[in-house]
Amino acid sequence: MQKMLLAAAAGTFALHTAAAADDITVGSAAAVTGPIAELVVDIVAARNLAASHVNEQGGLLDGDTYRLVTGDSQCDPKAAVDTGTKLVNVEQAVMVIGPNCSGATNGMAQSVTIPAGVVMLSDTATAPSISDLDDNDLVFRVAPSDAYQGRSLAEFAWEHGYRMLAVTYANDDYNSGLAAVFATAFTELGGTITGNEAHEPGKASYRAELATLAAGDAEGLALFAYFGSSGITILRNSLENALFGTFLGADGMMDNSVIEQIGADNLRGNIMLSQPASDTEGASYKAFAATFDSPGAPFVTHGYDIAFLAALAIEKAGSTDRGLIASALREVANAPGMVIRPGEWAKAKDAIAAGEDINYEGASGAIEFDGNGDVAGIYSLNMVGDDGTWTPVN
Amino acid sequence: MEQLYGIFLYTVFLLTMGGIYAVLTLGLNIQWGFTGLFNAGVAGFFAIGAYTTAIVTTAASERHLGGLGLPPAAGIVAAMVASSIIAWGVGRMCIRLRADYLAIATLGIAEILRLVLKNEVWATNGPRGISVIPKPFEHLAEPWNQIAMLLLVVAVVAVLYVLLERVWHSPWGRVMAAIRENEAAARAAGKDVERLRIVAFILGGALMGLGGALMAHHIKFIELQAAEPITATFLVWVMLVVGGSANNRGAIVGAVLIWTLWSAAEILITGLPPEWAVKAAYLRIFLVGLALQFILQRFPDGIFRERRLRTVSSPSIKEHSPCRKCC
Repeated sequence: MQKMLLAAAAGTFALHTAAAADDITVGSAAAVTGPIAELVVDIVAARNLAASHVNEQGGLLDGDTYRLVTGDSQCDPKAAVDTGTKLVNVEQAVMVIGPNCSGATNGMAQSVTIPAGVVMLSDTATAPSISDLDDNDLVFRVAPSDAYQGRSLAEFAWEHGYRMLAVTYANDDYNSGLAAVFATAFTELGGTITGNEAHEPGKASYRAELATLAAGDAEGLALFAYFGSSGITILRNSLENALFGTFLGADGMMDNSVIEQIGADNLRGNIMLSQPASDTEGASYKAFAATFDSPGAPFVTHGYDIAFLAALAIEKAGSTDRGLIASALREVANAPGMVIRPGEWAKAKDAIAAGEDINYEGASGAIEFDGNGDVAGIYSLNMVGDDGTWTPVN
Repeated sequence: MEQLYGIFLYTVFLLTMGGIYAVLTLGLNIQWGFTGLFNAGVAGFFAIGAYTTAIVTTAASERHLGGLGLPPAAGIVAAMVASSIIAWGVGRMCIRLRADYLAIATLGIAEILRLVLKNEVWATNGPRGISVIPKPFEHLAEPWNQIAMLLLVVAVVAVLYVLLERVWHSPWGRVMAAIRENEAAARAAGKDVERLRIVAFILGGALMGLGGALMAHHIKFIELQAAEPITATFLVWVMLVVGGSANNRGAIVGAVLIWTLWSAAEILITGLPPEWAVKAAYLRIFLVGLALQFILQRFPDGIFRERRLRTVSSPSIKEHSPCRKCC
């Protein structure tokens, strides 16, 4: 059995070596099996669509084939490290796109791609801890970190005229992280945080905490909580006791049961919630949607973008050198430069050949990488509409 | 040339992972192979070990408990101590249960441990996991960092192998086999069956904690997805059964062989066109299952059978036997 396997493995290696002359391999790590397997089918299809766009319109460099090799990262850091090692060492991938899931991304980045000097570009990892990795500028992602939502909401609040706010957050990782980012960003904009208190979710009443917070002269309460475990109770306590009348919050509060239990009339004009959104009216999104079967599926726009960006980075680097590709990635994604949209490979290839700067505007958003290799997310602001449901406002 | 170097690096990685699984399998061998304790909760002890060392060795972070920043060696010892304590507690509660009932109880306890680790966010960062765990030798240049890690794992496995062989051939090992084969007879011969079973359970649990700790350092990140029962419990069982239970050599060979099958099977399918990639991932699982069928049909007792116990053991071994008084 071992002999058979070895022979088969050797055969596969020989095939790869023979094909290497006109193939450029990029590792495509995805949680093909495991807990999010159903979501990943469409994401992988979107990545492969980008590769076929590239190959149909002239391929990479001197007509080389853009070859995506899928590795199964299973949404498990062990599996991601295992498949990443194979992609980087056995397949000799010049770059890795993916994997899915924050934990798998974190493990693969730290123990495979960073030590090997291979740049990684994830489409679905959102954990803030990925920004903090000591990564030699080798870890990028096109999914916004959860931390961006806090900043986005602070800007919404400032634009809507709030200057003094009280903050309370459920004492869990997600909400405490959001609250910390929100408070910092709001203060930087010039606002004042009159009080900032954690609360334990699941209690029957929050009157004591709210009374303390209301002692400041806040114009409203920024509430970071899940609606079911503490959010609705805090809204009810605040309104019943006339402690707070206006509220801001994030997607943890975004549920119709909030409106049903508190009453649309009590909330209309008094509450604003932020929520991740994609700009479905943009030209880039429309260009992508015209070529993909299910453009509305979660993270498929991100999947297309990372595969297309990988090709642009290789073309810009002008070689298959891993270091050159890593440093080219930011250049092709960020402004300034000629705007390239999904599917416009031939145009991009000509521009790069002519020595022009290019700026990829992806289906998932403009994609401007910051110093950590992160992108800012697009968020929509929602209020209670006339029909008693959450309605986006402009 | 680069291709060959890449394959070499992958082989080093493959053997390192196989070695870490061998530690887990040796732990299960003490419990099931030696003593007949059906532990279906390997993942729980694995997770305790991994999280303990992560908390002890990482730098301070507002996301989780810890910030001690101790060296990995201290973390590994702490992991073994923590998983031993949990194993002791579990053993006190469940060890009297007969084999199949013990299996159900340990399965439940592993799930409880998993949920506790997931929900005690202040300590473990919940579903987000603990990042930037130090890896031994990571500051050496490639490939020496990976080779050194492999040598460390090989050394751990070798030391465990020597120790467990001595234990197995000691009077204590014979008592364990006696309990496994005929508990009533062992009891009639005056053995404190319950206490001996707890000791075996604790030893096995400590090794599972050690395996978890090594894994956490190797992949530098731990979250509960890494302690899913499929890859942290059932795969370990498959390794032991294929290698041959009650045989330490079998446990090690089974672990390395099954991990190689599990991992290398993926290389065979990457030559397929991308449209097939999603389906091919399931083909890989099918291939692994097929290979298992083949091995188990060919070697129904595992690749290495249990060896008959030697009746004579040297006085020095008796001297060091941990249980001489109770035997």
